[in-house]
Amino acid sequence: MNIAEEATKNWGDLPKIFDGGIETLPQLLLYQAQRLGDRTFHRKKDFGIWQRYSFNDVLENVKNFAMGLSALGVKRGETVTMVGENEPELFWSEYAAQAIGAKAVCLYPDFTPAQMEYLLNHSETVVAVCEDQEQVDKVLEIEGKLPLVHHIIYWDDRGMWKYNHPKLLTFKQVQERGKKAIQENPDKFEKEVAAGKGEDPAVISYTSGTTGLPKGCIMTYNNLFDTALRVAGSMPIKPFTQALSYISPAWAAEQMFGVTQGLLTPFVVNFPEEPETVQENLREIGTEAVTFTPRQWESLASLVESKMLDAGPIRRWFFGWGMAVGRKVNLAELEGKKVSLVWRFLYPLAEKLVLHPLRDNLGLQAAYYTQSGGSGMAPDVFRFFHAMGVKLRNVFGTTEMGLFTLHQGETYDLETVGKWMPIHPRFGPPLEYRVSEQGELLVKGGSGFAGYYKNPEATANRMVDGYYSTGDAVYMTEKKEMVYLDRLEDMRKLSTDHSYPPQFIENRLRFSPFIKEVMTLGDEKKPFVSAMINIDMGTVGLWAEQRSIGYTTFTDLSQNPRVRDLIRREVAKVNYFLPEGSKVIRFFNLPKELDPDEDELTRSRKIRRGFLEQKYADFIAATYEGKKEFQARVPVRYQDGRVGTLNATVYINDLETEEKENP
Amino acid sequence: MVRENGYLMRAEAVSLRFGGVIALADVSVNLGRSEILAVIGPNGAGKSCLLNCMNGFYRPQEGRIYFQDLDITRMRSHHIAKLGVARTFQGIQLFPGLSVIDNLLAGRHIYMKTNPVQGFLYRLWTHREEMRERRKVEEIIDFLEIKHIRHALVGALSYGLRKRVDLGRALAMEPKVLLMDEPMAGMNLEEKEDMARFVIDIREAMDIPVVIVEHDMQVVMDIADRIYVLNWGNVIAEGNPESIKRNPEVIQAYLGEERRK
Repeated sequence: MNIAEEATKNWGDLPKIFDGGIETLPQLLLYQAQRLGDRTFHRKKDFGIWQRYSFNDVLENVKNFAMGLSALGVKRGETVTMVGENEPELFWSEYAAQAIGAKAVCLYPDFTPAQMEYLLNHSETVVAVCEDQEQVDKVLEIEGKLPLVHHIIYWDDRGMWKYNHPKLLTFKQVQERGKKAIQENPDKFEKEVAAGKGEDPAVISYTSGTTGLPKGCIMTYNNLFDTALRVAGSMPIKPFTQALSYISPAWAAEQMFGVTQGLLTPFVVNFPEEPETVQENLREIGTEAVTFTPRQWESLASLVESKMLDAGPIRRWFFGWGMAVGRKVNLAELEGKKVSLVWRFLYPLAEKLVLHPLRDNLGLQAAYYTQSGGSGMAPDVFRFFHAMGVKLRNVFGTTEMGLFTLHQGETYDLETVGKWMPIHPRFGPPLEYRVSEQGELLVKGGSGFAGYYKNPEATANRMVDGYYSTGDAVYMTEKKEMVYLDRLEDMRKLSTDHSYPPQFIENRLRFSPFIKEVMTLGDEKKPFVSAMINIDMGTVGLWAEQRSIGYTTFTDLSQNPRVRDLIRREVAKVNYFLPEGSKVIRFFNLPKELDPDEDELTRSRKIRRGFLEQKYADFIAATYEGKKEFQARVPVRYQDGRVGTLNATVYINDLETEEKENP
Repeated sequence: MVRENGYLMRAEAVSLRFGGVIALADVSVNLGRSEILAVIGPNGAGKSCLLNCMNGFYRPQEGRIYFQDLDITRMRSHHIAKLGVARTFQGIQLFPGLSVIDNLLAGRHIYMKTNPVQGFLYRLWTHREEMRERRKVEEIIDFLEIKHIRHALVGALSYGLRKRVDLGRALAMEPKVLLMDEPMAGMNLEEKEDMARFVIDIREAMDIPVVIVEHDMQVVMDIADRIYVLNWGNVIAEGNPESIKRNPEVIQAYLGEERRK
């Protein structure tokens, strides 16, 4: 099946929803409530019980709040800002603001008052909807500097009993005003909703921006629906999927998933009780869909690892064995390889004893739509979840242009960020991309980029010949699959004017069990990339013992020809995912371990680049002079404080020539 | 019910002796309808003894204790509890083998009416009661922000959290007054700040006056409306935090006096 057929099949009847002239989220909410009425839409755990809100309940809450906002004087085109954890009231506030034609802005709950001040003023917010005392306090602190904000609304009244500020109102009070307004003017809500257009700004999503002030990216309804259909066309998603809403709606991804896809598909959107109870909640609701950031998946993986370290030896053995079987079978299937009969035979047992209980405990037993949103998550973390039978996929895109790629189908390469997603013809031409000479990804197609709010200059800077320049450095493999390298500004330039991704190379190399630390070399004065590697004495030593390779010290082991060959192969693996010019050409193994006591590493074990470049200047010089070996003299400080010198012959390895020598 | 002078609870000229040791000597204390009252003093000053007299653990030899104008001096402590006087303890008094929810439900036993026979004969009776009580318990769990540990065994919790559950157990009784014995002892700064916030919230949201015996002067000065200072069984000062801070007798009791040669 080609992509278009696949997409049509996945979409099914879903796009027909738009045939009735639905253009905005509130219009969609009205439609869904009419169609699905009493079916559950939102769920939130309260007083220890999952409380359900049907489409009708949600609509009523949204309607009352929208009319309340209108009664407070919020007008079409103005901005309402929400700040808080993911809770139903936050979603309702957003739909309500949009219902009367206002734009919604969501802020991260951990923003400082100063950050909030800039964003509230830049977005021209007139009403701030806060979760609780914490957020209200922050807004009140800067209230004098917010000339446009005329009301501050909160929904959790804990600790708010003695507050008495003229601008303060509770969520319920606003809804009461709304109810009165509805009695006076019963069809105003429907009229307001009907006036919305697809090209209206629905959300302004502020990008964090590593440099300078945050930019407000306008997301229109077309953008939101376009992206939701891109995902829906890429994989089959069942209606009434149990989804957990956990990533903040301040991040564009949750606007696409929880807010838009949740209403469109629709999902049963579940809100965790507290951030601390997410793990428990995942399990209680039998989560089928969840999107986390790479950091959250990583911490889930390390949670499992650390709990297993606490377990007794028998359990640990079973866990290790079960995961090994899972790796053999699930990862082979993922890569489209054949699995030998032995493993197939063992798999049901591993599933019964280890994998199923593991997924069950993590609350991922029923999960079929699991995503890591963003760019580089370590392939090892993906493998960990795939081994246990969770089909974790990467989704990659930008706030400005929506989502681009997703791991699609049953077999995909974890090193890549996935395949390009289809665009539904209703929302524009298919996505087209180009990789610039600097290695930057340029994209056009779909519903396009609506621009930055009040910043046409920055918008224009982003556009190159009709393409949106993402600022992301990528590489296309021979199979035309995209590998994400780094942000363009984090790339380093070589004397040849070519830029390479130091972080990407170092991170990938560090995943190798044989490599403990690594520093890439290569700057404006050097023509190619090379690497300084600190082998992992434990694993390399074990590897050597198993192969009857004798060694005495770390220095001896690191310079052993077979060990150097082992590391060479590890480097070559990473080179496969690098464009020509970024590949690591030469490397050497350090004859001693990097040590924080000698200021080579920070206390948190990060490499100290500048210091290392100085200390090992003669190593680096030898590497770029093309020497095969050289006599190194390294000053070392012993534990008792004495200073000595380590004399050793260090071999410098060349990937290109040696590849030909030992293929 | 409350007397015209507006005091909810009063101790009048209470004296308590253990053999020859005078723990409390002619101590009079009163608690307003809606205040956070702190009792401070050096070790052995008689602070805990005073609390124990107020909820009937100890019987003072002399003096009277009134709760809402009812003389409770000779009453048994479980009767006093039923009247609405709850307390937390210096050492934690919980069931370590039960979950947080079960501990709080146990705190509500005075409101439970059904007996095992009813439970055996017709489950609906007990079922209704359990739903009602669980709701109350969940409200307390919500109030004290311990949702993430509701099913955890109390014995496995950290000290700070156990203290919070202990407070929850006291609140589960829906008391009219709360007596707290050293709620901040052994806590780190963050736990202390949390606890202080809860004490203030209890007064503000639930409108329950609190008597708090505490060593930590900083906390007391921050949250108390009024303070009594005890030393060797005597009240040596009474007043708002500012006046207590400046009181020379208090400074002397706390910092000691230079010995005269």
